[in-house]
Amino acid sequence: MDKKPKVAEKVSPAETVFQEPSILRDSTVIAPLVEYPIEVVVPKARQQTPAVGQRATRLDGRLHGLGQTGYIDDLKFQGMLFAKIKRAGVASARIKSIDTKEAEAMPGVMAVITGKDIPCNAFGPSLKDQPVLAHERVFHAGDGVAAVAAVTEQIALEACEKIKVDYEVFTPVLDPLESLKLETPGVHAPSANIYQKKFIKKGDIEKGFAASDHIVEGQFRTQMVEHVPLEPHATIAMWDANGRVTIYSTLGRITLGRADIASTLGIPISRIRIVATIVGGNFGGKNEITTEPVLALLSKKTGRPVKSTFTRPDEFIASTTRHPLIMDYKTGVTRDGRIQARKIRLVLDGGAYCSWSETTLSKACILSAGPYNIENLYAEAYVVYTNKTMTGAMRGFGAPQVCFAYESHMDDIATLLNMDPLDIRLVNAFNEGSISPTGQKLQSVVVKESLLRAAERFGWNGKGNTNGGAKLLPKENVNGNTVRV
Amino acid sequence: MVTVTINVNGENRTATVPAETTLLRLLRETFGLTGSKLGCDVGDCGACTVIVDGLPVNSCLMLAGQADGREVLTIEGLASMDRVHPLQRAFEDCASLQCGFCGPGVILSAKALIDEIPDPTIPQIRDALGGNLCRCTGYVKMIEAIQKAARDMRGETVETSR
Amino acid sequence: MRAFEMYSAKDSRDAVALLAKHSITSKVRVIAGGTDLLADLKFSAHSPNVVVDISRAQELKSITETDEGLRIGALVTHSRIMRSPVIQKMFPALVDAAHTIGAVQTRNLGTLGGNLVTAVPSMDSGPTLMALEAEVSIEGPDGRRQLPLSEFFLGPRKTVLKVDEILAEIIIPRRNIGKPTHFLKFGLRKGQALALVNAAASFWVDWEKHTFVAPRIGLGAVAPKVIRAPQAEAFLEGRKITPDVMAEAGLVAANDAKPISDFRASAGYRKNLVAVLTKRALEGAYALAKTRR
Repeated sequence: MDKKPKVAEKVSPAETVFQEPSILRDSTVIAPLVEYPIEVVVPKARQQTPAVGQRATRLDGRLHGLGQTGYIDDLKFQGMLFAKIKRAGVASARIKSIDTKEAEAMPGVMAVITGKDIPCNAFGPSLKDQPVLAHERVFHAGDGVAAVAAVTEQIALEACEKIKVDYEVFTPVLDPLESLKLETPGVHAPSANIYQKKFIKKGDIEKGFAASDHIVEGQFRTQMVEHVPLEPHATIAMWDANGRVTIYSTLGRITLGRADIASTLGIPISRIRIVATIVGGNFGGKNEITTEPVLALLSKKTGRPVKSTFTRPDEFIASTTRHPLIMDYKTGVTRDGRIQARKIRLVLDGGAYCSWSETTLSKACILSAGPYNIENLYAEAYVVYTNKTMTGAMRGFGAPQVCFAYESHMDDIATLLNMDPLDIRLVNAFNEGSISPTGQKLQSVVVKESLLRAAERFGWNGKGNTNGGAKLLPKENVNGNTVRV
Repeated sequence: MVTVTINVNGENRTATVPAETTLLRLLRETFGLTGSKLGCDVGDCGACTVIVDGLPVNSCLMLAGQADGREVLTIEGLASMDRVHPLQRAFEDCASLQCGFCGPGVILSAKALIDEIPDPTIPQIRDALGGNLCRCTGYVKMIEAIQKAARDMRGETVETSR
Repeated sequence: MRAFEMYSAKDSRDAVALLAKHSITSKVRVIAGGTDLLADLKFSAHSPNVVVDISRAQELKSITETDEGLRIGALVTHSRIMRSPVIQKMFPALVDAAHTIGAVQTRNLGTLGGNLVTAVPSMDSGPTLMALEAEVSIEGPDGRRQLPLSEFFLGPRKTVLKVDEILAEIIIPRRNIGKPTHFLKFGLRKGQALALVNAAASFWVDWEKHTFVAPRIGLGAVAPKVIRAPQAEAFLEGRKITPDVMAEAGLVAANDAKPISDFRASAGYRKNLVAVLTKRALEGAYALAKTRR
């Protein structure tokens, strides 16, 4: 391309306010005028780039096969200590006292810390409601209450057992629907249990339901899921004499992590160096810090590198999981299967801490109506605290859960109407230029073409549901033309 | 403490370790062979799989003392200085590994299978990998690579590395 | 894992002596394949001071046919059972059962004796051996004692073994050598699965009258220990072999079962499984009988 990009001449507002010294008028300090290419190329649907369909060699493939990939737990440093976190084991409690004397006196134990040793004991990707180590309250059974650094992992574990914690145990809130009720005691009192909500309103659902021949209701639930990356979380922390900490970690978002470590330790970001190597699976579960600030403090206290790895049980109770969702759907359709109105309520089990719940809530809510043309839509979504393992990011961020709901719901509607589940989707699915529930005009839409191509590929015979499946579907009449499946 | 002498990847190595040390920790921490991984430590995930006296086992479920006098093959012993094993070559060519953590265990299970059954069927491959969990790949390309390596090994192809 | 001392036994007598000596002063556990013990100890609060390794006792690793019957050493691994030509020929059901245990790696370490001694009600090796009326030979300081397998289990993770005893051999009596037997396991997945229900059926066929002779049914995971199904067995004895009879026997066996409801399955679902698996196990044993006729 022989056309040079142009940059608009810099006109600083300050230049016009005061009399600049003549040096600023020197032509050598003004950048030459160049243009940005401002035309945006909109690709046609299904336009392929040359890379798609080509085989590409993974750069790390050979190292993996030879067993030479260095994961964090494969690294060791001179004089390295091992840390273990003592976990609460009780879902909701107040810490009355922690006695670490016996643990500290054990031979081989080099340092013990608790929540009160953390300079600023709160972090989180959005709401900063998560402590590094429990402060006064325990909010879920995997909460760390103390940490030990010792010369072997075995000694660190034994020391953890010798730490005596006196708890005042409270009744935990475990059911998100209970947590949704205003009268339920706040998990993070005085904050409310509903810690974020989102609403989408489009058209007029009452009008839509009135125009419907059938109204179908259904509730769908998904469970808490753990990522189970083959590689457990692992971290190593060490300081240099210039007051700079180097942290090797399985952490995925290292810039975010750096900010959290800086704020919890009360040190400038410039003093923190994070090294993330090839990770043994993340899937969203390694998106935020876990033990990094704890290890940094243990390393500072002992003057030695400190390593800690999660055990597989730790992965289940002390690392983020996928939000369970309770999803209520109500859809009005005409007898030919066309959706007239849809009402949705989503309740996300937000666990003990916010983590990535705000993003998950957003995504779930926006995608909850499904890829279907719906003129009248009302979706409300809430995320609530419970005294369970914190729920955070996991592949899909709320999309898989609602997809299960709206697609199952669609199948139920098709069954009730004795319609082919493929046909009912073809009737309602997005087209090129359809407007999404949040007002976005969609491009490169190939939903119907994909459905048809897939149906052809796996030999869909088009006989689904046209032979009286509606009789077998367990359902109850709510009132009039409303049926609950 | 127990003193053990184990033939690891063709070399006799001796160590004195606490009795409760598993073979996995002995390999990783004492012998510095970190190719075998700790994924669950209870024999469910297979990331710790090594071959002991010709049979693939969970090294996290074997005490170091029980491996005394035995022959152990780890992933590090599969390739030599100038030659990768056909399985390692096939896994690379077929892009069978993503994060790679399960890789050493899977490759060793596959090697044990091909050593016993030079022409394994897909159900036999699936059975052989039943103790190796992978969260990234879905196993499809692993099965492809194992079949490819088995073919290469029957045709006695020798690959030079790099 | 917490610290412990380990002593490696040269043979079964040495093992018994080590157990006798150390159990006076210490908490002792026995390690054979380690697949149950070590998995248990990794995250456990109750750890032993001493572990006696019996995995080197060569005399407990043989599979031999004698006048008494088929003797399987307690240290025979599940993968060796699967590979044994004798067992493949005589008792393919034992091969099937071994195949359902864990995965390749666990089968290469785990032993038949270990599976029985750990005594979880959902064990995979128990039902077939129960249906074959197996006996166990226990070695202690005073030598050997032998008893039926049905008397060996006391409850979940409890057997009659004393602190200074080891399970030495499993014997399938001569009269049951070659008895057509079939085993089925129902788990929530195909590999590394815990059984929801296990069922084994074993019987001879009277080819003249076409009736069941000495039918025996073993059930797992539906009671505090592996059990037989006495009502179902009584129902089948002498009855004509038909699909309807087999189906009904399944329903009777469901009454012999006393399953609990847990997070894996409800008691009702388990009873349903017993009925279906018993019927299918009978069908499988009959199919095997026909090939051997």
